[in-house]
Amino acid sequence: MADKAAAKPSPPDRPAPKPVPAKSTQSDEKRNFEPKYNWMDKTRQWGVRVKPGKAGLKLGDLNVGIYGETPTQWTDQSRNPRGAVPRRGMPPVGYAIRDKAGLWADCAADLYEEAIQRRWAPATDVPWDTIEPLPDDIEHALCQVCTELVSYANVDIETITGWQHQMSYGYHEVKQFLATASFDAARHYECFRKRALANGGGLGLEGPGMVNRMILESRGGWTEAVVYLLVLRGAFTLTLYRYLGRYAHNDAERFIFAHALADKARHVTYALDHLKYAVAHADDQLQVVRTLIAIGEGGLTRDLRDPVLREALAVIFGGGVAKAAHRGMAVYGEMMRDYVATYLGYCEWLGMPRDPARLPPPLNEFANPPDAGA
Amino acid sequence: MAVIVAVWREEKHDEMSEAANGTEPQLDLGWMDRTGPWDTRAEPGKYGLTIADISIGEYGEAPEVSDNLTGRPRGAAARPASYRIGAYAVRSKNEIWLDNASFLYEEALQRQWSSATDVPWHTIEPLPDDVEQAECQLATFLTEVEFVAGDVPARWVSLTTPDFYEPRQVLLAQVMDESRHMDVFRKRALANGGGLMQATGATAGFVGSIDLSRDFTEMSSRLHISGEGAVLTLFRMGELMAQNEAEKVIYRLCAQDEARHVAFGVMHLRYMSETAPERREEIHCYLDEAEGGLIGAANPVGQLTPTSESMAIILGGGKEHFDDGMNKIIAIRRRQLQEYRKRVVSAGFGERFENGRSRVAQLIEEAAA
Repeated sequence: MADKAAAKPSPPDRPAPKPVPAKSTQSDEKRNFEPKYNWMDKTRQWGVRVKPGKAGLKLGDLNVGIYGETPTQWTDQSRNPRGAVPRRGMPPVGYAIRDKAGLWADCAADLYEEAIQRRWAPATDVPWDTIEPLPDDIEHALCQVCTELVSYANVDIETITGWQHQMSYGYHEVKQFLATASFDAARHYECFRKRALANGGGLGLEGPGMVNRMILESRGGWTEAVVYLLVLRGAFTLTLYRYLGRYAHNDAERFIFAHALADKARHVTYALDHLKYAVAHADDQLQVVRTLIAIGEGGLTRDLRDPVLREALAVIFGGGVAKAAHRGMAVYGEMMRDYVATYLGYCEWLGMPRDPARLPPPLNEFANPPDAGA
Repeated sequence: MAVIVAVWREEKHDEMSEAANGTEPQLDLGWMDRTGPWDTRAEPGKYGLTIADISIGEYGEAPEVSDNLTGRPRGAAARPASYRIGAYAVRSKNEIWLDNASFLYEEALQRQWSSATDVPWHTIEPLPDDVEQAECQLATFLTEVEFVAGDVPARWVSLTTPDFYEPRQVLLAQVMDESRHMDVFRKRALANGGGLMQATGATAGFVGSIDLSRDFTEMSSRLHISGEGAVLTLFRMGELMAQNEAEKVIYRLCAQDEARHVAFGVMHLRYMSETAPERREEIHCYLDEAEGGLIGAANPVGQLTPTSESMAIILGGGKEHFDDGMNKIIAIRRRQLQEYRKRVVSAGFGERFENGRSRVAQLIEEAAA
């Protein structure tokens, strides 16, 4: 472009004026910005074209080529997405869980998508208008059980969120699944609170908290937390939901327990898949998990000895206080036998079968049918 | 209540054994007299039974300072023998509270979406190589940064007493939202013949970063007000940036989510400002730092080369229209700054724009020059 100043040069005997640096402005940035494009072509794998399948474009579908490679250790301490070109020299964010064996489950990506597809909103999806006044003793019992279930959900929330940020980006599927799990727990928290406050009752008495403490004190790693939170407590909660759904008083309760059950089943599925992976890929982990399970059973038994939850369940199962001791407790016993059978089945599947006789009392008594010893 | 209450016992081993061996136990039932406020009957409203609807009577009263160390649901009867399990760092209401948490949480539940099935992936068509590379660079960046807003709020949830469960619920919804954002941008990068490119390191462990905040409000001012605010403006420009319907949907849905997160930050800051005026100067210091980040590396239209160059290519429509793209970047940056100023004013800290403390007005003027 022709320069007017150049067309009219300064007289030769006068020195050229000293150039004054212009004030830097954003619009100068626009004029002066010379692109470098030095980021272009920096990729570890190009030409990837993942197509949506019958169920859409799922997280697991993306695991093609290098993008699906999940190393046994993830040393990168940044948020470098798996498969991206890392940027060197960045100060670490500080992730504690960098071994695949410490969190992995092959099913995490599928469970993540399933959780999203099966989302529900307690405010609008639960048919609250189907709740009708219940006899006072039953309402008391249900409110007591809901209080315990709110506490269980609270421990889910506090435990999962306490570990989530410590997990490396290289295993993003697990982080993402756990985001759904803590969100599920948030929904359970509000939903059971809503049920307790919706029908002329209120919240009951807080639980004894032994298992809560045991879960929250899992300092040995996420795997330990999984054993306590999702296997010991998880299997128990799952069984509770099943029985409470069976003895629901109205469609609202049926809906709540059925949906909470489906959510919890995903959490337990992750747990079992993770433990299977962990014991297969980490030295000594099988024995560690065995030990944790034995310790956990002791804590669980101590909580179960507390009469509050048991009696509240018996009132619900018996249809009132009058039949709680007989019919209600019989169903409670059946529920506990179901729980113990489920739990022992999990242990068996994980390759660490438990001898029912060695379960702490009185848990061991539920390992056999009531008339087995007769 | 027609229930005869027997002697209360904390432990009753025999009763459990009796249940196991089928003999009929004698029940205690003392727990029936140990409840929170009774006769509560929350009614569903126009939007169903929301958590605002159950905030009635004592159940709606969050304490100014929580002494709940057992994780007890707010309003439940305390059990003296219960274990203290919560080493909660956030126990003062003004540290985390906001007045519209229940609304934001219920909205989040209603507006959940699925990146697998709600995005019309089939509308993505092959793009010129420079544009696809730019899209993939931006998607790499967003995959990298989006879950900061998942990791960090999650950590604060675990540190907050359940007496303030309403804000915790919103933060849990945010963790879920960010997880979806992380996955949708990864999906975009791998859906159209491209791939992930180079990470920027923009979220590394620098002093002053969102990760390293020592206080919830400090974190929120960096994350919700500055960081997510800037990204929200960008996502709202989705129509300008998108090459196809799939990308338009992605930006639209992400913007919806981000708007809630930003609203959390604004409303919390407002509550903090009104209830803890002694902390206002401290909050101004956080905002000083947050403003530094407004044009920095964590902003896709900031001054970091890989992201701003890729944005210029996307907005211009190719390398040959780079200057057009840069013009649009500067317009977006101006808008980011204007929206940031509005948010801070709305939160009650507008004096910083009047007394010369903030550089934002100058940055807006420069962008307009």
